[in-house]
Amino acid sequence: MKLVSKILVAITALLSSANSFAQIKNAKTETVKIYGNCGMCKARIEKAGNRKNIANVTWDEETKKASIQYDLSKTNQDEILKRIALAGHDNEKYLAPDNVYAQLPECCLYKRELKVNSKSKVAMVMKKEHSNHSETELVGRVATIKSQHLNAVIEGYFSVKDALVKSDALASMQRAAGLLKAIKAVEMTKLSADEHTAWMKVMKDLELDAQRIAGSKDIAKQRTTFALLSKNMYELVKTSGQDKPIYYQHCPMYNNGKGANWLSKESAIRNPYYGAKMMTCGSTIETLD
Amino acid sequence: MNVFKIISIFLLFCSQSLFAQKVVHYELYVKDTLVKYAGKEKRAIAVNGQIPMPTLTFAEGDTAEIVVHNQLKESTSLHWHGVFLPNKEDGVPWLTQEPIKPGATFIYRFPIIQHGTHWYHSHSGLQEQIGMYGSFVMKKRTDDKTFRKGLDDLPTVPIILSEWSNLNPNNIHRMLHNANDWAAIKKSATQSYAEAIKEGHFKTKLTNEWKRMLAMDVSDVYYDKILINGSNSTDLKAVDGSTLKAGDKVRLRISNGGASSYFWLRYAGGKMTVVANDGNDVEPVEVDRLIIAVSETYDIVVSIPDEGVAYEFLATTEDRTQSASYFIGDGIKQLISPLPRLKYFEGMKMMNDMMKMNGDLDDMGMNMSLNQMDMNVVMYPEITGDVKSKQDHSEHDMENDPNRYNANALGDIVTLNYAMLKSPYNTSLPRNVPVKELKFTLSGNMNRYVWSMDNKVLSETDKIPVKKGEVLRITIYNNSMMRHPMHLHGFDFRVINGKGEKSPLKNVLDIMPMETDTIEFLANEEGDWFFHCHILYHMMSGMNRVFAVGEYNNPYLPNKKQAYNALQKESNMPHFMTQNDFATNGNDGEAMVQNARLSLGTEWRLGYSSMHGYEVETHFGRYIGKMQWLMPFVGFDWRYRKMGIDEHETNLFGQKNEKDTRRAFSIGFMYTLPMLVNFQAEVYHDGIVRLSLMREDIPVSKKLRAGFMINTDMEYMAELKYVINKNLGIRTHYDSDMGLGLGLSLNY
Repeated sequence: MKLVSKILVAITALLSSANSFAQIKNAKTETVKIYGNCGMCKARIEKAGNRKNIANVTWDEETKKASIQYDLSKTNQDEILKRIALAGHDNEKYLAPDNVYAQLPECCLYKRELKVNSKSKVAMVMKKEHSNHSETELVGRVATIKSQHLNAVIEGYFSVKDALVKSDALASMQRAAGLLKAIKAVEMTKLSADEHTAWMKVMKDLELDAQRIAGSKDIAKQRTTFALLSKNMYELVKTSGQDKPIYYQHCPMYNNGKGANWLSKESAIRNPYYGAKMMTCGSTIETLD
Repeated sequence: MNVFKIISIFLLFCSQSLFAQKVVHYELYVKDTLVKYAGKEKRAIAVNGQIPMPTLTFAEGDTAEIVVHNQLKESTSLHWHGVFLPNKEDGVPWLTQEPIKPGATFIYRFPIIQHGTHWYHSHSGLQEQIGMYGSFVMKKRTDDKTFRKGLDDLPTVPIILSEWSNLNPNNIHRMLHNANDWAAIKKSATQSYAEAIKEGHFKTKLTNEWKRMLAMDVSDVYYDKILINGSNSTDLKAVDGSTLKAGDKVRLRISNGGASSYFWLRYAGGKMTVVANDGNDVEPVEVDRLIIAVSETYDIVVSIPDEGVAYEFLATTEDRTQSASYFIGDGIKQLISPLPRLKYFEGMKMMNDMMKMNGDLDDMGMNMSLNQMDMNVVMYPEITGDVKSKQDHSEHDMENDPNRYNANALGDIVTLNYAMLKSPYNTSLPRNVPVKELKFTLSGNMNRYVWSMDNKVLSETDKIPVKKGEVLRITIYNNSMMRHPMHLHGFDFRVINGKGEKSPLKNVLDIMPMETDTIEFLANEEGDWFFHCHILYHMMSGMNRVFAVGEYNNPYLPNKKQAYNALQKESNMPHFMTQNDFATNGNDGEAMVQNARLSLGTEWRLGYSSMHGYEVETHFGRYIGKMQWLMPFVGFDWRYRKMGIDEHETNLFGQKNEKDTRRAFSIGFMYTLPMLVNFQAEVYHDGIVRLSLMREDIPVSKKLRAGFMINTDMEYMAELKYVINKNLGIRTHYDSDMGLGLGLSLNY
């Protein structure tokens, strides 16, 4: 009985492989390492690599190895691996473009071991600067320590704003989720008295607004919420001192001429309510420092 | 004192003769060849067995001696693009020499009196498209006063960009004139009504056709492959024998040898530093990307950030359908992301806004120049966002934003424009010489692919006389819908770009629609110098002028008048088209021969029996006006039939026509109405009048075309056609004479 089932398995295996082989002529099969993490990566890698009757890619999540089968007369390993890298996945021959990698879903952000060269260098440079910083500018650091506990929140806000400037709804969602995390991570006990009062006043609203932006794919809705978020952020930033000036800016046209405001690190206008359509529409109404 | 003078003169003489002595000699064998760049074996032209042609290298002070052996079955020529030389060496057939006949040998010989990155190409017919382009590099001497350490001593690589199409270029040219939209189908750029509705741009499409525009792309021709130095992908692991490593810098000497493609140039290893343009030094400027116009050259310095990585240098066509890669460095390849697809309907909307009803362009007071305002940014997702994130902004007053087309103000990406170019040296012209001011308006007609200056093609104009020693100041306004890279032979001109006495020197200036630019140069070299759009198919359509500087006697062209006639003729060649529908109810077809102005066409409807009838109409006409909407014609009709299924014998005006055999002369005119409907009015020698309305090729969906015709003889027709390929379609139509038919439609 056991033998029979074994033979059956062998035959089916043979048949099925013969079947898949029949699709691709002049087939050559190779195994290469392709970087990725999860099931989503697998789907993306295979979709990018596959071409009907020409190339077939099967990627293994465990080993990070892909078996690549292709028609020698029509394509080559290079072309297939290039397509996969352009979809965001580093491999033996090609490194993905940085901006494509950055846009991968969070679960797919694999560790870029092949890029280790430049990464480690950047990290080292940063480390060096950091140590210099702490030695020579201790005094400065004390002066700005006041607002440090809200820094993550403020930076989170700016990153949402930048995504809206680019009219990128997906990035806005992701970054709003990051902002939400930062809001929840604030340790109130470490805030100054003024900040504490302001924080208590706006915290709930901030949380709600961030949640709403993170939960909507519709950029128009995101922007409506962003107008509210900006108002609350303004209340907060007003009370806490900044080491660099923050600009409170105004777009007169938004919401059928009712207008809306936002905060920015730059004095130049880059309108988050319209993005490229009206990039430089607006003016600075207050400078906070 | 005297002795000192004599010695110094002697020394001067020595050094001069030292430089002038060296003759650099090249032998070039021009020969037919077969290539397989894009899947099929096709004819091309190779020089010394290679495409591109060999890189010719000289140093300033050398004498170039280039022997051309024409082993083709047709005549040829070689033009030295951007090179200062005596007019007879300039290589324009019928303007500076006779064409080099098959089997003949011709020697070009001229002193090299400048340095920089240039290129050379055939100036005969469309030979440039199929392989006749190559780099022409003139090195700066190390003892030159302008030698820039750290830039001029870098390792350099000549790079020549080009495109390949499996179609014969003569056929490409013919199809352009006949508004064949196969290229648009291949590029998924048909911009049909179905696509418009899907993207919420129905009104945009409607307005576009109301203003009598055909769907327009940023480029006209579909290419199958892009080539860098003759290859779609190249690895540059070492320069001059030494392997590239981290920190190394490489100077790329880039020429755009493409016949009609602009290329975006981008680099995966960080910013690029532009150090020269059209062979002339510029103050180094760092950019993320630049567009290289047809026939321009740029010297760009790139560096290698990391060890063991090769960085992609990517050249992408302006329409973003094709690209070629050059990997610089030794190791794993770092890619750069491809440019996202153009938002065509945003472009169409922008065009609608700019186009007045009479076909003129309206810049709405923006005073555009020097590529600073790129109207096309509305189509670039990387700068103006994705199609998907579209939103309602109709209530907003975009006109208040002065930067809405300024790519550098809109995005984080720094794009080079001409206003950023600055010469390191004083380039001012002498002040005490007379100045001749000229103005040109670049004009064109996309529908019939007629390109001209001041609405005149070369065959309609004489040479423009210029006195030797005059300064020529030329203001050019582009009133056409396409950009044009205008090239001047024999001189570099100053581009008036706000840099004062350090205005940059160029010999090609790309002028975008609605831009106005001013250039100036000292006309101090005698001869007939060509000034033309360098898009090959525009040049061959007549977008040229000739500056005749001084009284030049060209030993190669004893009969100048005759030669100029030949040149004019070559730039206005007739093109032929024909189509026929082999249908179940008869044959429907037409044939036409046209040039820039004249049209001889005949249409036929041939039934399979005398009951359905046989009918042939022939028209000879001339297109009038810049937009060529009006064409008066004379015609001849012949018809034979036995009363068919359609009984109408009295026309709308009560005129009777009872003859079954009819021969009639006519005069009339055709006029293109909004929505691209052709209105035709015709009166025959027997007094019978016929008016008709017709529209062909309504783009319903990507491959489906509709059409209709109705006239005062109570005849009507409606058709639907599905495009299979550039020469074939399936057509169904209903005709009041011949009834319903289904057939195979062939067109050439």
